[in-house]
Amino acid sequence: MPWQVGLYTAAVLIPLAAFLVEILFIRKLGRLNAAIATGAIAASCVLSAIGFFDYFLIEQRAALAEPAHHEAAALADAHAIHAGPLAWKGSFDWVVLGSPEAGRRLSLPLGVHIDGLAAILFLMVTFVATLIHVYSIGYMAEDPRYPRFFAYLSLFCFSMLGLVAASNLFMIFVFWELVGVCSYLLIGFWYEEKSNADAANKAFVVNRVGDVGMLIGLGILWSALGTFDFHEVSSGLRDAAGQLNVARPLTPADRVPFRGPDFHIGDWPTPSIAYGLLTLAGLGIFAGCAGKSAQFPLHVWLPDAMAGPTPVSALIHAATMVAAGVYLVARFFPVFTPEVLLTIAYTGGITLLIGATVAMVQTDYKKVLAYSTVSQLGFMMLALGVGGWSAGVFHLLTHAFFKALLFLGAGSVYHSVHTYEMSGLGGLRRRMPITAATMLVGVLAISGVPFFSGFYSKDAVLAAALARVWQSPEHALLFVLPVVGALLTTFYMFRMWFLVFAGAPRGFPDPHTARVAHARDEEGVLAAEEAEQGEGAPLHELNPAAHAHESEPVMTRPLILLATLSVFAGWTVWLGLPIGTPLLQRMIAHGEPAGAIDAHAAHGYALGASLLIVALGFGLSALYYAPAGLPFLPALRLSPIRAASRFRPLYALFKNKWYFDDLYDLALVRPCLRLAKACSGIDRHLIDGFVDGSARTVELLSRLGGLFDRFGVDGAVNTMAQAVYAAGDRARSIQTGRIRNYLMYLTLALIGLFAGVYAWVG
Amino acid sequence: MSDYLLLTSLWLVPLIGAGVVLCVPKGSERLVKYVATGFTAAGLLLALVALAIYVGDDRANAPLAERAAAIRVVSWPASEAMGAGDVDGNLVIRRDWIPAFNIQYYLGLDGISVSLLVLTGLVSLLACLASWGIEKQVRGYYALFLLLVASMTGVFLALDLFLFYVFFEVMLLPMYFLIAVWGGEEREYAAIKFLLYTLFGSVFILVAILILYFWPGDAPAGGFQAGTFDVVALTTIASTTGYYGRWIQDWVFVLFLVGFLVKLPSFPFHTWLPDAHVQAPTPISMILAGVLLKVGGYGLIRLAWPLAPAGAFDWSYVVAALGVFSILYGALAAMAQTDFKKLVAYSSISHMGYVTLGMAAMNLAGGSGYYAYGVNGAMYMMLAHGVTSAAMFFLVGVIYDRAHTRDLDSLGGLNDAMPVYGAMSYVIFFGSMGLPGLCGFVAEIFVVLAAFHYSVTLGVLAAAAVVLTAGYILWTIQRVFLGRNETWKDLPDLTAREIVIAAPLVVLTVLMGVFPQPLVLRWMSPSVDRVVQGVAEGSARNAAGPMAESRDAGPPQVARAR
Repeated sequence: MPWQVGLYTAAVLIPLAAFLVEILFIRKLGRLNAAIATGAIAASCVLSAIGFFDYFLIEQRAALAEPAHHEAAALADAHAIHAGPLAWKGSFDWVVLGSPEAGRRLSLPLGVHIDGLAAILFLMVTFVATLIHVYSIGYMAEDPRYPRFFAYLSLFCFSMLGLVAASNLFMIFVFWELVGVCSYLLIGFWYEEKSNADAANKAFVVNRVGDVGMLIGLGILWSALGTFDFHEVSSGLRDAAGQLNVARPLTPADRVPFRGPDFHIGDWPTPSIAYGLLTLAGLGIFAGCAGKSAQFPLHVWLPDAMAGPTPVSALIHAATMVAAGVYLVARFFPVFTPEVLLTIAYTGGITLLIGATVAMVQTDYKKVLAYSTVSQLGFMMLALGVGGWSAGVFHLLTHAFFKALLFLGAGSVYHSVHTYEMSGLGGLRRRMPITAATMLVGVLAISGVPFFSGFYSKDAVLAAALARVWQSPEHALLFVLPVVGALLTTFYMFRMWFLVFAGAPRGFPDPHTARVAHARDEEGVLAAEEAEQGEGAPLHELNPAAHAHESEPVMTRPLILLATLSVFAGWTVWLGLPIGTPLLQRMIAHGEPAGAIDAHAAHGYALGASLLIVALGFGLSALYYAPAGLPFLPALRLSPIRAASRFRPLYALFKNKWYFDDLYDLALVRPCLRLAKACSGIDRHLIDGFVDGSARTVELLSRLGGLFDRFGVDGAVNTMAQAVYAAGDRARSIQTGRIRNYLMYLTLALIGLFAGVYAWVG
Repeated sequence: MSDYLLLTSLWLVPLIGAGVVLCVPKGSERLVKYVATGFTAAGLLLALVALAIYVGDDRANAPLAERAAAIRVVSWPASEAMGAGDVDGNLVIRRDWIPAFNIQYYLGLDGISVSLLVLTGLVSLLACLASWGIEKQVRGYYALFLLLVASMTGVFLALDLFLFYVFFEVMLLPMYFLIAVWGGEEREYAAIKFLLYTLFGSVFILVAILILYFWPGDAPAGGFQAGTFDVVALTTIASTTGYYGRWIQDWVFVLFLVGFLVKLPSFPFHTWLPDAHVQAPTPISMILAGVLLKVGGYGLIRLAWPLAPAGAFDWSYVVAALGVFSILYGALAAMAQTDFKKLVAYSSISHMGYVTLGMAAMNLAGGSGYYAYGVNGAMYMMLAHGVTSAAMFFLVGVIYDRAHTRDLDSLGGLNDAMPVYGAMSYVIFFGSMGLPGLCGFVAEIFVVLAAFHYSVTLGVLAAAAVVLTAGYILWTIQRVFLGRNETWKDLPDLTAREIVIAAPLVVLTVLMGVFPQPLVLRWMSPSVDRVVQGVAEGSARNAAGPMAESRDAGPPQVARAR
């Protein structure tokens, strides 16, 4: 077992140890928890940095070389490298049961599997998490449950790192659920508000719907292959050329139990898996990913999850946990059949469109970011689905940096103005220059402006989509959707920045609006109620932006660091010039599995498209929202209110989030509750009715029997009974009618009986 | 300590305790409590000693059949000294009891029974401590309580069907009185319902036992003659010979199944459980959920499957479907409850569905490896549920003592008032929900994985239940612990005594979830695997029995549903 396995095991376990200390001694430690949690994750970060540099600078230097796409010969070379990217592995059997079969016992393993993908992601997670820990020290300083917050963060870090380092699907599932529960605890962190607790429940339950799919995948793969190990599963299913052994389109024969060609996992002969079942397993695993990564139709939980503290939104619901679904799709890429990949691509496409359109009409800047996350996750899924493996993962990483930055910036704004409502803000760039500048970097990055990291990754995604459409033109939608999505992204991100930071502070028109706007903040409802009762002065400022102030350095420094990364993460060695493949993407591509698409030829077109998109998106946004209008045409203005009324049906659709919540409530939640009531009713009326009814019948029968006894049998027996009565009269003294005495006799009799038996057999 | 003394005192000590309690003079209720607790603690100690011997001694953890065979039955009247026929330290003893009917005083332990024995000891002790608040007829209460403990212990010890049946029936009596006298408003209805339901089930078990006893045999079995209640011998016969043919096994299996499903309970024999739980006092609910339900599961794993493996195989799809249905039905019904205790009761029905499913997931194609996960999962579910459900009922009782309500809609905000209570409840509830790292997960994942190997359809349905479980558990947590509620803001947090009761269960919930193999499976699963082996062999053998031609079912090696 290589030493790196120990290194990464330690990096996973340190936050767990921190969590245990923090939660068990929560009263004693108090605010020290923050230091312990931050220290622990920083230690993990250092360890993973060591692992990262060891992997890419010492062990796998080839990863840094420019991959050659042009000539066929070079391609073969690249494949030779791809055939065996290094992975540090070590695992043990957590549970082994049953008798050995074919020389091997079925087991549930736990272990570490670090390849390039895991090493990169591990570093990203620990790094972003460390920054967010530091930021939280400032952001959560006033909170009464400050120590508990950091304990939960530590538990989350452990779970997330376990997920990234996992060596097999079973372990993924374990940590999958654990990150889910951390997310639940943190979304509902301010559980006094019912809406927060509702949001937490929704997040967990929707995720569990996805997890059912995951369990299906788990169950099918395991019962067919007898192993959970990534490497064994994927290498077992692929032949030497990297083609899926059972790869062929679905045929009617797949509907009946069908056995494909036999293949082997290691030296263990395995029964083969039916193609239909493999597809079903793939869809199941993807359903799990869709739940975690908020993909249509399971995306509804993520916007609500913004009820949690903003650092949580940044860490869990933007940078790391929601990316876990994308990560798992990337991991399981070789196992997915073409049908599954197509489903993934279309799901991503639909999601990115839904997310972008809803983000366009939100007036709550945190919600804009939430829907933008949904949309960006859709980009990643689409990229993976079309075969742009490295593009999808690359976008995951750049997105983690700029989205964490945007969320933390939003938190910084909130910290100062205590409202999420954009209509009353504006002009904050003068009062909060660092936040405004770093947020602008984030906006430029997510919009895909050249030289910012998002540009490179989005370009890669578009290129992959275009290449896929070239292959099969009937799926042209797979290129149209991301183009439209990217355009909308630029539009709504600049809209948000203009509304919050540009111009002059607008303020709220009247106290009521201000109160409602503040009531949406986390602790505000109680205060709003107090204000309603008319006690004291109005608590909420009409113009919060006018008195805003910059946040303290403990919060702005992480912003600056993340802003820096949001720029540089996409750079090539050529100082950001769009020449060659970005360094980070090269590292990722080093571990690219067979079957990924070669998008090189499409890059030029994608580049043109994305430049056009940025220009168009920015222009539209400025026309509608910039106080000064377009840079060179200040006279040309458009009114968002007019646009909203002109496209009323569309506006209503977007504003109501495509009616998903209402639909689910009507079609799923209510029927489920009705069914629950019905079950309870069946118990009470049907089954118990039968039970009670038969009891009554028996009672009736016994009464009839009693009548017969009294008049028929008793006459004959009476004479005898009189004799017995006389005897009974004498015995009556024993029957005192008290339960305790009965019990005494009962017990003594039993003891006597058993004692007799004891003596008898002994 | 000789085996004879150890195994006998396991059930006799609580019984003596019952007698001693009754002899305590009136007016010294405290003393009664101390005495009863002392005897229950002694029971737990003895169970732990038995476990230690079982785990540590190679003589003790050999297959039960081998250990039993090594013993010479001492005939009656005993002319030899006590223990003459025993092999010391192998945890099996047998004596003639009623030789005319070949009934023996036959006790023995293997991994399955010893685990449940320890569970019984632990839950009993904690329930005894939780009984501190009982004020009505204290002596009677504790005497019945100890009698109940004695009979439950006896059920897990007995290896003679007749003796098993005696203990099984004796168990009903104290339970009936404990609910009927110390229960809530509707206690008499609940108690009689419990009694009649269980007696109804017992009839089926009795008939099954008598069939096994009197069956003349379908095929020669190496000189074996019916007319024995010896569980071990009957198990061997069922798995290695065709003495009990497929047809008779089908019947025996169904009879056992119905009898034990009532106890488990499973749909449609479950409606006694919510009533009994709601009416029973807190400690009795703990015993009921923590141990008594496991008697049903124990009956399935010890009798129904091993004594009629071919029957079990023939019925497996029906039983597995019933298990899945129970899981879903219990979860849905739980979701509809507004009474906290009733909700927990329905969650028990849902969880016991996993036991049925795990046992029935008999896809023996290519070996029994996957099936072993199902049966181990069923067994683990019994232990895990024993821990979490006892804790859940205790926690419900705690809040009922303080707030005098179990209405979920009027509770709320308890997290702020009672942080320790809240923290412990989270662990227990999540454990029950099947969160990884806690005990319920281990059981659920074993069973669900085995179910997938048996039938993808049933696997999918069983997997879907995790959504419902999450739904009702989280909704409960929300209604009890979250939100703001001025009414309860001054409720006191857990007392030291309550922490002492809850803490072991919380710790076990975590430990059993993190270290299933070293803590439990290491010593329990060999016994379970032997049951699995026996069942697999028996069902394969008897499928080709006399009735095989007249049925159109395929050979058992073929997966039933794919």
